[in-house]
Amino acid sequence: MTSKQVESVHEASLEILENVGVLVRNQEARQLYVQHGCEEEIESSVIKFPRAVVEQFRQSIPSSFTFHGRDPSFDRTIPEDGPIFCTGSSAPDIFDLESNEVRRSRSDDIARIAHLVNELPGYDLFAISVTADDAPDGQQSLSRFYPALKNCQKPVYGSAPSIDEVFDILKLCFLIAGREAAFWERPFICLGYCPVISPLTMDVESTEKLIRFTELGVPCYGVMAPTAGLSAPLTLTGSLALTNAEFLAQTTLEQILKPGKPIIYEALPTVVDVRNGAYSPGGIETGILLMGCAQMADFYNIPSGGFAGLTNAKSSDVQSGFETGMSSVAALLAGLDLLRIGGLLDALKIFDFSKVVIDNEIALMLKQAARGIQFSEDNLALDTIAETGPGGTFLNKSHTIERMRTTPFLPDIADRLSWSQWKTGGAITPQAQALNRVREILSVDNPAVFSAEVDQSIREEFVGLVAGDSLPIAASMKPI
Amino acid sequence: MEKEKILENLAFAIVEGDEDKAVENAKAAMEAKLDPLETVENGLSKGMDDIGEKFGKGEVFLPELLMAANAFKSAMEILKPELEAQKMQTAQKGTILIGTVKGDVHNIGKDIVSTVLETKGFNVVDIGVDNDTLSIIQEAEKAQADVIALSCLMTTTMPAQKEFIEVLEEMNLREKYFVIVGGGPVTQEWADEIKADGYGESAVEAPVLVKELIRKK
Repeated sequence: MTSKQVESVHEASLEILENVGVLVRNQEARQLYVQHGCEEEIESSVIKFPRAVVEQFRQSIPSSFTFHGRDPSFDRTIPEDGPIFCTGSSAPDIFDLESNEVRRSRSDDIARIAHLVNELPGYDLFAISVTADDAPDGQQSLSRFYPALKNCQKPVYGSAPSIDEVFDILKLCFLIAGREAAFWERPFICLGYCPVISPLTMDVESTEKLIRFTELGVPCYGVMAPTAGLSAPLTLTGSLALTNAEFLAQTTLEQILKPGKPIIYEALPTVVDVRNGAYSPGGIETGILLMGCAQMADFYNIPSGGFAGLTNAKSSDVQSGFETGMSSVAALLAGLDLLRIGGLLDALKIFDFSKVVIDNEIALMLKQAARGIQFSEDNLALDTIAETGPGGTFLNKSHTIERMRTTPFLPDIADRLSWSQWKTGGAITPQAQALNRVREILSVDNPAVFSAEVDQSIREEFVGLVAGDSLPIAASMKPI
Repeated sequence: MEKEKILENLAFAIVEGDEDKAVENAKAAMEAKLDPLETVENGLSKGMDDIGEKFGKGEVFLPELLMAANAFKSAMEILKPELEAQKMQTAQKGTILIGTVKGDVHNIGKDIVSTVLETKGFNVVDIGVDNDTLSIIQEAEKAQADVIALSCLMTTTMPAQKEFIEVLEEMNLREKYFVIVGGGPVTQEWADEIKADGYGESAVEAPVLVKELIRKK
């Protein structure tokens, strides 16, 4: 979009908020909006937003967002450190590593995925990739956060169904940090919520989460998930304007509650498959809409994020590769700061171990693409060109040797062998190569795990908690 | 206008998703004193069957199917008083109570299933979104439902489907109702696990599933 078009989307959003308004089902939120200059239609619970109110509250949104890791070397601030990459979250199912069958996912899967993500350099954060079907009653969130935090020192992102479960998560974090104050200095988790149900509706319970999490002061922000053609206009422009209006409504409430609260402009925008109504996050439109979101976030001078690189493919295959690759590169080039890319198949429903490794490679390629052509005198290499002269080779020059391990991206999964080498080596597919890497990482003890004392104090506090260990892969798991 | 022509026009208006034309032709049918039951079966339902077939082949898309369903419903409103006056009933196919479970306010998928079932002649009682288990049971009792259809879109609200079936069992009402489940994250495996009576991946599977269940009754 041109800057004029970006402004038009902003104007359109203000018009939507002022004239159509948002149905706010949460009473406390309605009161807060009204106390700060919005108007309520009493009968319908629709809140109308005068443009001055929206314009005022968006001013206090900070221009950066910091994620802290359990290990400070994994701290990331966007946009400065961007683009940063993250796994996809909350898939209910998983391809079992040993049997390769799809089954419900469990807490021990989270432990293994956390272990992997900790080791894979493409990922900056770990969004807890799957649900925990084995969670004991009342420990739904703990059974996800505990194995995640135990096995990964990078920032951990997740959600919780209620404020009570957040108190448990915080208690867990305090024990890990050693003391409460230490956690609050560097809070190493981030919570998500989705208060907006498109179109233009704010739910009771998830808006409640926005309010309570924000009051607590734990890092958190909302994600919009419109489906063009279903819960938003089919045209991408209209869908973007609506999503942007929903973002502004949600963030107005966040800023009312805590002026200066850092957030990310994040979305999971999709287009319905009009042929049959299928949910289609693998569509290129997800990438295009995220380009729009990145531009809107830029206009507001706040960091952007989104689910770039999802797929509808049912296995880690050609479709999963091109869908993940295409929309993520689109979003990246438009300047998206946080890309949630990794590990999920079948429209966010199934986690796959080979996919998370392949996506790590895609993330590293995208980081390389974001660096682009790095212009400097030294990189121009005029001296080396002169030294080599017409007809020479650069292969043996010190200019090359000094940079050969850092300048080009050297893939781990993509195959570059000659046909005969590849054939002799067993004609390994990228998926098999990725699973080999999984096996390699998971067969070594995880150095990230916290001390036995800390673990003991956690297990004493939460009786009956899942084991949370990254189990070695059964010897029976053979290479494909 | 001759009878065949009116019915043909009516079916065509449904296929085209033309609500005005459907209503107009339904009125014409009543003015021409056509048998209302026959008008439903050979006009309205014929149209829905035709478009359903085209949808199955991928010739028409989901929005067109929904437009047809809307036209069907509006034309039906014209025929209803006549059907009632003549004490006629469309073949009683059964009552389906449908709603989303506690904590889930995503209604689009549920609404589509609801509409598709209505156009196939089922009596649909739609109790909307965010229903807790006990109120669903109360509504089902009140509506004398044959089938209870529970929808959810989020993995976090799926357990409410399971809980519903457990409570139904505890209250000794499990045998009384068929419980079917659907929604984005729901799968056949999940339906089996929670001992639901049926699951459909897409809305168009709902009438087939429900018909099959009620036949077993």
